[in-house]
Amino acid sequence: MTRHPMLKYLKEKGPAGPRMPTIMCPGCGAGQVLNYTLHAVDEIIHNDGTRKEDFVFISGVGCSARLTSHYLNFDSGWTIHGRSLPIATGALLANPSLKIVVFTGDGDAMAIGGNHFIHTCRRNLDVTILCINNGLYGMTGGQVAPTTPTGTATATTPYGNMEEAFDLCKMAETSGASYVARWTTAHPRQTIKSIKKGIGKKGTAFIEILSQCPIHMKTPPVEMLRDFKANTVSINKSRGHGEDKILIGEFCHMERPEWTEKYQKILEQFD
Amino acid sequence: MNRLSINPDYCKGCLICVDACPGKAIGASDRVNPKGYTLPAERDMQQCNGCKLCEIVCPDFAIAVEIEEEKS
Repeated sequence: MTRHPMLKYLKEKGPAGPRMPTIMCPGCGAGQVLNYTLHAVDEIIHNDGTRKEDFVFISGVGCSARLTSHYLNFDSGWTIHGRSLPIATGALLANPSLKIVVFTGDGDAMAIGGNHFIHTCRRNLDVTILCINNGLYGMTGGQVAPTTPTGTATATTPYGNMEEAFDLCKMAETSGASYVARWTTAHPRQTIKSIKKGIGKKGTAFIEILSQCPIHMKTPPVEMLRDFKANTVSINKSRGHGEDKILIGEFCHMERPEWTEKYQKILEQFD
Repeated sequence: MNRLSINPDYCKGCLICVDACPGKAIGASDRVNPKGYTLPAERDMQQCNGCKLCEIVCPDFAIAVEIEEEKS
């Protein structure tokens, strides 16, 4: 029997018994994002000569946080809620050559960890932030989150959410991230390409991946993926029309001095 | 012809692979795994072009495509 090619990067067995199948609900987008990330990492390892040991995966708390130390056979950290980015900062300062990938959810990045997120982008630290945005607090029971679209019914807003949703990409861009992109789980090839670009980028790369929560949205995953395809429009094609749709694509791709490089220059003055 | 291999222990029956397949080579089957999830199966593998999209979109790492080497 042929096995999935990405299983070589996963821990199928742990000290307490088998770890697979994953803890995610059927059709969860977090598993898909893990699959896309591993495809991107696999291509980088094969093409650029980057070693497996150079990668570090860090996550906070939430559904998305389960992706790191539970399943990944890489160096990884499952850390405190909303504070995955400060811990990534510490890892980067200890060894600036590391390629750090942070898995974070919308609640972890933007609700409880919003301030850390802003300041990581401001410093332009060399981390890749993959934000799995399912638009609600999935792990605690589907409550309304700052990223819930207006009008969506959740466990705590049964008559529809009356608030405006947070635009994470605009926030990352204005805070100073070098690379900002938004994709959905229904765009696999584009997401893999974007993650590869983000990991290769010197500076903060923020990639928001709109993801489905079929359990709390009470919709089959396949239908949610079709909705993502129907309700999104590429930023290159929009040009004034399709404003009622969600914009996807690369919003920002620029060169800005990276924090650890600047710090290294200061240290060189004292040699 | 390409072959499909599905791990019944890992599959959770979300059937995202069935929807993602551009050639409709995969379909839902009557087989159910011990947890009660409907498993996908080969439907018409003549249509498989080896794009491996089913492998990429699977959230549970349960499906794999074996590409047959072309005989020269």
